[in-house]
Amino acid sequence: MRENIANFDAASIAAIRARHPLAFQAPLSVRLRNQAAWFAFFVLTAYCFWTFDLSPARLWAGSGTLLDVASRMFPPTVGDAFNDYLWALFQTIAMAFLGTVIAAVLAVPLGLLCARNVLPVRIAQFFFRRTSDTLRGIDQVIWALIFVRAVGLGPLAGILAIIISDTGTLAKLYSEAIENAEKKQVDGIRGCGGNPLQTIRFGIIPQVLPVMLSNVLYIFESNTRSATILGIVGAGGIGFYLADRIRTMLWEEASFIMIMILIAVYVIDWISKLIRRRLIGGAAETSGGLH
Amino acid sequence: MLEIRNLGKRFGEATALKSVSLDIPAGQMVGVIGRSGAGKSTLLRMINRLAEPSHGDIIWRGEAVSALRGKPLLAWRARCAMIFQQFNLVPRLDVLTNVMLGRAAYKGTLPSLLKVFSPAERAMAIHALERLDCAQLALQRAETLSGGQQQRVAIARALVQAPEMMLADEPIASLDPRSAILVMDALRRINREDGITVLCNLHTLDTARQYCDRIVGIAAGEVIFDGVPAALDDAMVRRIYGVADNDPRFDESATSTTAFENIPSLVPIAA
Repeated sequence: MRENIANFDAASIAAIRARHPLAFQAPLSVRLRNQAAWFAFFVLTAYCFWTFDLSPARLWAGSGTLLDVASRMFPPTVGDAFNDYLWALFQTIAMAFLGTVIAAVLAVPLGLLCARNVLPVRIAQFFFRRTSDTLRGIDQVIWALIFVRAVGLGPLAGILAIIISDTGTLAKLYSEAIENAEKKQVDGIRGCGGNPLQTIRFGIIPQVLPVMLSNVLYIFESNTRSATILGIVGAGGIGFYLADRIRTMLWEEASFIMIMILIAVYVIDWISKLIRRRLIGGAAETSGGLH
Repeated sequence: MLEIRNLGKRFGEATALKSVSLDIPAGQMVGVIGRSGAGKSTLLRMINRLAEPSHGDIIWRGEAVSALRGKPLLAWRARCAMIFQQFNLVPRLDVLTNVMLGRAAYKGTLPSLLKVFSPAERAMAIHALERLDCAQLALQRAETLSGGQQQRVAIARALVQAPEMMLADEPIASLDPRSAILVMDALRRINREDGITVLCNLHTLDTARQYCDRIVGIAAGEVIFDGVPAALDDAMVRRIYGVADNDPRFDESATSTTAFENIPSLVPIAA
């Protein structure tokens, strides 16, 4: 007789349930714990809504002013400083690029040292992990403000801010990829008598390299956007002009600058897509999809 | 009755299966043998429609399943359960959930996405696990199991699909000999007790001889042998595996993983 779900009447279900009660229902303690966790989650969410007064009425009231500002942004106007904008935009992209490249390199040793499977020494791991937490725990803008004080206004402060915070971020992302690396290839190299550095170089790096590159490209895209903010606090680039135009209520010029930034971000997205396909794609070929 | 008519598959320039025609009566246990790359996996995957045939028809009980689309296609996949060499369980889910996923084609989408299963489905899964002697593993994560246990869980998943046929693609190729015996015994028992047609790709000849009613030999994308195990002689085996007639090192038991009592002596290798 073939299996058939219709064979399972109340009596036979009860008999199987008696043999395997946990397959039908988790123990009371587990269910209570889960329910308590969900309850706490909903209470916290409701409390946040209440305490910040996120009511539809307030959003509605604010939207009127927002529409007013939006209408002042049209038509976008270039003003008389297009060449300055262009240079500043270039500066912003260059800051993002240089900062990301340096951070991507510095994060490699830090990421390796943070990974449990590379450095199985708890004390050292604690030290390196807290270092990377600290670097990225303080926001890029705060680092920029600090470096503007230290090295003066201009792109150098912005580049340093990107390097510091993204070394932390990338080290974290790298170390997670490294910890998820397959052990088989590692054992393969160790089994050949490879020393620890050779094992990392050939057992781990080739399999995590695509993930690392993908992270770096994403961070670069993201930095092109966020480097604008760094300009606003005085760390060079297009953000300086944008903040200035907003402050002086030149909304039409501000919207022109925003459009320039958008185009730059699109172009960089597109370029990084090409790079990604070139360096990482190929092996990602799948057959048949999900159907 | 499964009727396969001129079934073929090309991948671009390469031909995986030229043209295969077979009639398989309901309830038969058939072993498909051949070298790696002969087209065995492609044949099974096309029957389950995981791979699209380039030409030909697959007919099950008079119904042309090679023409199915949409929901009836998904239902067909459930009706001819697939068993994979690498088990293809979801490693991070527990065994019970893995088995209950065999009900995917019969359930509403929303309850299955939320992992809501009825008592009858749970009972059916436990019952299937009991038949495979794995019920005690029900609450463990699939990734914590040994290969043999995972394959038996995969068979339990296939069982709750209430299949009319089972397609096993090298089910024991990744297992040690003892686990291989447990898995083949299970397939054989299901074939006999439930009357389910079983099609099993194997690369060990003695397993095919021992467990199957009928052996189909495939070489270079074509069926070159189809008959009872006893009819398979040494010359035919050499043709199927592409070994030269005068190569003295080839011995049928050399393709075996289960030959306990008949371990071939080591062949000296010319320096």
